[in-house]
Amino acid sequence: MPTYADMTKCDGCGECVDICPSDIMHIDPVYRRAYNIEPNFCWECYSCVKACPQHAIDVRGYSDFAPLGHKVRVLREKEKGSISWKIRYRDGRVKEFTFPIRTTPWGSIKPPSEYEAPETSGLSSPMLAHELAALKVAALPVLPLAGSKTRPV
Amino acid sequence: MFTSNPFTLLTEYLPPFVMQAYVVLMIFAVGIGTAFDLYHKRSAEYFALRRSKSKAAAQRRLGAGEIASLAIRTVGTEIASSGEFCKWKRRLSHLLMSYGFVIYLIATVVMVFVYATAAHTPIILTALWNIGALMVLIGGCWFFFILKVNVAHEGHSPFYLMHADLFIGSLLASVASGLLWHFVQTMHGGATATLVLFALYILFTTLLFVSVPWSKFAHMFYKPMAAFQKRLEEAMGASDLPRPAAGSNIRR
Repeated sequence: MPTYADMTKCDGCGECVDICPSDIMHIDPVYRRAYNIEPNFCWECYSCVKACPQHAIDVRGYSDFAPLGHKVRVLREKEKGSISWKIRYRDGRVKEFTFPIRTTPWGSIKPPSEYEAPETSGLSSPMLAHELAALKVAALPVLPLAGSKTRPV
Repeated sequence: MFTSNPFTLLTEYLPPFVMQAYVVLMIFAVGIGTAFDLYHKRSAEYFALRRSKSKAAAQRRLGAGEIASLAIRTVGTEIASSGEFCKWKRRLSHLLMSYGFVIYLIATVVMVFVYATAAHTPIILTALWNIGALMVLIGGCWFFFILKVNVAHEGHSPFYLMHADLFIGSLLASVASGLLWHFVQTMHGGATATLVLFALYILFTTLLFVSVPWSKFAHMFYKPMAAFQKRLEEAMGASDLPRPAAGSNIRR
């Protein structure tokens, strides 16, 4: 089931264009609203569905080849840290699920650009840049080098 | 420039009834264009279908008072303050354009129909005509060169033109040529320059109003309808979105 953008709900903000890993969400040249240029290449990753602030994108079989009425709708609530799903099956059953997606306020996680640029010497370290700070730990256990008698920390 | 009526100065070349007939023609063009747009894009059919579907899926009936309250909220949020936009820059640019266009349009109609032959036009009207046009120009250029989604997110050049630019392009060209024409007129520029700029102003203004069936001009009529329908569906319990989560997962 590929994504489908409802043009009466879309405000043409471009969030889906930015997030689509398959680069198939584009802007319609006639209406300047989002649309899926290659429904058969859609991975069904739901990134655009979750990112759309207008809830204008749903996932469903296109009516020209699968007019069965099944579809998936998503409601992401940033302020509650939750995502809810409404699944409509082909036989008309509807199921709803709600899942937590985070416990910290939206925007409270420091993005990589806000950390200091790592030094070149860090290239020889097995650690990722700012790994300790990001994990909020003082140190990580390391394995001993081959042949060394040093006990692991 | 802010104190003179451009249409009074125009009476040297054009009798007022020609200007008034042109304004009436453009109003008809918008009416007919919108009706044709509704027909060929099947927007009316779509809304009727959506309304009947939502009525069938409704979990409760709404009273007249509730419907009126939803209509007032739609006017206050979606129409008066462009609340549908999720990004403040686009919202501000749209507000500049929409209020500027309404101010400019009303000032034009009053100046053409009431003050075209008057010795003095109230300064408030002439100032509003210029301010309205400038608001459209500022909001429109901001949108056209920076905020336009295909420029900001698709990486297109601002000068890459597509069908969707018909409305914003003709609107910007109309107000820009109108302001330039008025500027040259009040600076006592050459008669040829004034006439050429006036011809451009009429050309782009005609394009703006006559291209309604192919441009997004009619969005100012159907967008409020779509917003109202969305509010109705939510209130009736007919929205196809999942129910909002009961509690919050955020630990503060």
